[in-house]
Amino acid sequence: MASLLQPDRVVYLVRGEKRIRAPLSQLYFCRYCSELRSLECVSHEVDSHYCPSCLENMPSAEAKLKKNRCANCFDCPCCMHTLSTRATNIPAPLPDDPTKTAMKKAYYLACGFCRWTSRDVGMADKSVGGCSYSKDAHINKLIEYYQQLAHREKQERDRKKLARRRQCMPLAFSEKYGLGTRLQRQRSGAPISNLAGLSLKEGEDQKEISIEPAPALDEVEPLPEDCYTRPISLPEVTTLRQRLLQPDFQPAGASQLHPRHKHLLMKRSLRCRKCEHNLSKPEFNPTSIKFKIQLVAVSYIPEVRIMSIPNLRFMKESQVLLTLTNPVENITHVTLAACEEEDPDEINSTAKVMVPSKELVLAGKDAAAEYDELAEPQDFQDDPDVVAFRKSNKIGFFIKVIPQKEEDGDVTVSFKIRHDFRNLAAPIKPSEEGGDTPAEAIWLTHHVELSLGPLAP
Amino acid sequence: MADKQQNAQKSVKIAAGAVVCVESEIRGDVTIGPRTVVHPKARIIAEAGPIVIGEGNLIEEQALIINSYPENITPESEVEPKTMTIGMNNVFEVGCVSQALKIGDNNVIESKADVGRNVILTSGCIIGAFCQVNTCEVIPENTVIYGSGCMRRVQTERPQPQTLQLDFLMKILPNYHHLKKTVKAGHNAS
Repeated sequence: MASLLQPDRVVYLVRGEKRIRAPLSQLYFCRYCSELRSLECVSHEVDSHYCPSCLENMPSAEAKLKKNRCANCFDCPCCMHTLSTRATNIPAPLPDDPTKTAMKKAYYLACGFCRWTSRDVGMADKSVGGCSYSKDAHINKLIEYYQQLAHREKQERDRKKLARRRQCMPLAFSEKYGLGTRLQRQRSGAPISNLAGLSLKEGEDQKEISIEPAPALDEVEPLPEDCYTRPISLPEVTTLRQRLLQPDFQPAGASQLHPRHKHLLMKRSLRCRKCEHNLSKPEFNPTSIKFKIQLVAVSYIPEVRIMSIPNLRFMKESQVLLTLTNPVENITHVTLAACEEEDPDEINSTAKVMVPSKELVLAGKDAAAEYDELAEPQDFQDDPDVVAFRKSNKIGFFIKVIPQKEEDGDVTVSFKIRHDFRNLAAPIKPSEEGGDTPAEAIWLTHHVELSLGPLAP
Repeated sequence: MADKQQNAQKSVKIAAGAVVCVESEIRGDVTIGPRTVVHPKARIIAEAGPIVIGEGNLIEEQALIINSYPENITPESEVEPKTMTIGMNNVFEVGCVSQALKIGDNNVIESKADVGRNVILTSGCIIGAFCQVNTCEVIPENTVIYGSGCMRRVQTERPQPQTLQLDFLMKILPNYHHLKKTVKAGHNAS
């Protein structure tokens, strides 16, 4: 019966720029606009970067400098698992007395999953644990060269701008290849009149970094004679995935696969596009899973769940038991309504549904209810035809379903749920009479679709 | 006479220096070499032939080393008993199942791995956790089989023998478990 609790059995419709159907657990609720929001109708912003294995936090500027990679952690080039540093004792000659040998500790990298070690590619054991194993000197040199080139080009362009007295071009336009922050700072405060004084970083001579262009050869090395006849030794050949994870060298042989620094992950915060309020803001500390702001839909909107489904037969009426849970602490009144004819939202339903017409009352969520034995039983008059059971803030109710289509596939029903919502976030308007209810209830309507499974054979 | 021969064969010979806990289940004609450690709840079952285990092996809990009849042959029909040979310094981790008839030295069969009957492990092979190898082949030396797709690669050095672990276990296990000793020929297997 756990399959009835799968999140995609009950989906709520989000009316944003796109109509999105998603389970309530994946939606957010903007309590300033009083609307459901899905991941596609919010803007995502990067909060902070962190390394998933050493959990080191990094501000975005530093992350950009390190190319979004952690300095201390490495990935296995073979299976992309995290590498761990292991120590061995090797006999090495003492510096004072070359004739005696003493045991020195040497460190190498090893993967616990595929048993790759850094010795496989011929990397020497380091005597200090935790130093850099990567070799990307060539790329660094190229990046420096192009940064200089970009700066020189920008200077040329700015000089031309000064000559023609045009408007200052947008800053983003002249940024190429990610110039360093010091140059950006100098540029951002520069109106046209200051351009003449623009120079390279103060105190640093203009280093002429020259890159030898790749030599163009007329004669290419011919393929070896046994290229077609030599049997391929599969363990020697790298897979495409292993190869493309190192785009600068793309080694074809497994003996040239070097470990890469681990990629950083990021924490993101979500912001409603209409009212610019934050919907989700995580904490800065990578070890903490809590949120500073967490406006998720499950804590504001009553949730519908399927409890039991009888055998569904074509054109026969069956009763399905659903539960409705109230997430807020005050009493909520819920009215259900079947979708009308020609409802533009109702495209998926394959069955007719009859929902209870009476208003359902849900008790508030009481966190101390399980400890408080003297709690009075709530006195709600429940119609036993409609309400199956009631338990603290949850209620079970019946709906009648008549499947209309005899095809293979799930029977889906949809209906509208209308509930009252007290917005405790909105500022309390001082009323003239004084003594108005602290929060006014507004009525929200949501479109819910349930997937009830296939027809009984 | 045939009976006596059968009885003589179906005994468990444990060399001196091996540590075999009494809670392990050893059935059939099994020979265990010195310096081998068999943890409690390990099972070594020699149904369709004898099993010879070398020295320095480490057989952990719930490991199953079984020399069983191939599935499509009923036990009544005449099948020549084949000996299962296991070399030195192998490690059978927790919960693995090994039916391979020939295992060399310095292999590691990781937790919950399943090695079929027609596989021959040479030396230095590592069968990764939960990998099922039931092909009909000889695994070349120093092969590592890992991952859910049983990817393979060759490593440059064989896994080190677990001497530290073996020494530790041989000291500690007798403090907490009774050990099995060699059974004289002619008696039933213990």
